[in-house]
Amino acid sequence: MMDEREDRFDSFIRNAARDDYNTPPTTPKAEMWERIEAARRTSRSNGVLPFRRPATRPAFRIALGLAAILVLGVAIGRITAPGVTSPTTAPITTAAAPDADKKDKSTVATQLATADHLSQVETFLTEFGTDKASPEFTDHAKDLLGTTRLLLDSKRVSDPRTRKLLEDLELVLVQIATMNPKDRAEDLNSIADGLAQNQLRTRLRNAIPAGPVIRL
Amino acid sequence: MEKRDLVTRVLAGDPDAERELYDSHVDRVYRLVYRMVGDSELASDYTQDTFIRTFDRLATFRGESALSTWITAIAISVVYNGQRKVKRIRTREVDIEHAEPVAATIRHSDPDLKDRLARAIDGLPEGYRTVFLMHDVEGFTHDQIGSALGIQEGTSKAQLSRARAKLRHELAAFAGDWAS
Repeated sequence: MMDEREDRFDSFIRNAARDDYNTPPTTPKAEMWERIEAARRTSRSNGVLPFRRPATRPAFRIALGLAAILVLGVAIGRITAPGVTSPTTAPITTAAAPDADKKDKSTVATQLATADHLSQVETFLTEFGTDKASPEFTDHAKDLLGTTRLLLDSKRVSDPRTRKLLEDLELVLVQIATMNPKDRAEDLNSIADGLAQNQLRTRLRNAIPAGPVIRL
Repeated sequence: MEKRDLVTRVLAGDPDAERELYDSHVDRVYRLVYRMVGDSELASDYTQDTFIRTFDRLATFRGESALSTWITAIAISVVYNGQRKVKRIRTREVDIEHAEPVAATIRHSDPDLKDRLARAIDGLPEGYRTVFLMHDVEGFTHDQIGSALGIQEGTSKAQLSRARAKLRHELAAFAGDWAS
């Protein structure tokens, strides 16, 4: 009896929503098509190529991955052991070299800072998903949001995937930082849905290098 | 097979095929986007963006889902990102008085119910709201919703059930209207 009543009420709500909620007008097909064509023409004339999945072979990808790990390992070693120098290494005497080395170190430092930050965000989001929200969560989110924005403002964070990830994280952190204290349950659900739909946790895990994170 | 041919023709640079693809899907995309944002300018912007991305990324379409579902997934992603950027998540600031002219042509329902219904739907968590609008309002199946949102069919059903429960709760004051 109760189910039947609920079904009928659901049906009533469904029909009311179809009729009255954001009822779409006639699709402005022609206007939109003109703008789409114009945008695509501009894109072509600017030399922006359509997105294509790179046709790399598996063996090449593996080699590329190994090379990247090797480079990262060497870079981390150089950063984390600044006092250790090889006795056989001759001093570099060119004027440009110290600048280049400094630039390289800052880039690696930024990468480490990014990895460290992403790791902190991942921990935060994991805890956020299991605990009840508390004022500390919004404060922590605000701190993380600040760092996220600093990284996004840094020209050294140039990898498009990392930037996209940071942008998506920024939106989630904004949501958490501005949570409505009176209506937390709904906000939590909304944030959880947003995390799932953007696959943020998976993307975060993929972006964080394996192994212990070096705290800066 | 026909859809695959259409995709092949678009990828080969056939402008007629591009228009055909657009004509085949634009209504469905626009309707869903409009239901989600309730603003004709935003709906047009997001629909345009959806098709620009669709054409740019068509080479990556592998036919694992229907083309319409793939385009719907792009549309939802565009709407979510766009809405977050303009900070309009789940808020309804538009006064009914200034709503779209289409509102004037709308039916004869109780204005209070209409307003409360809008608020109740706007107040749903994003995921629930999307599933409710896709399934109950625009007639997508749970299979299509699951593919478009990247969630399990069961999750779609559960979210719809929760959305309906919330709406029943929010609109309980009107329970007498439909019973009579």
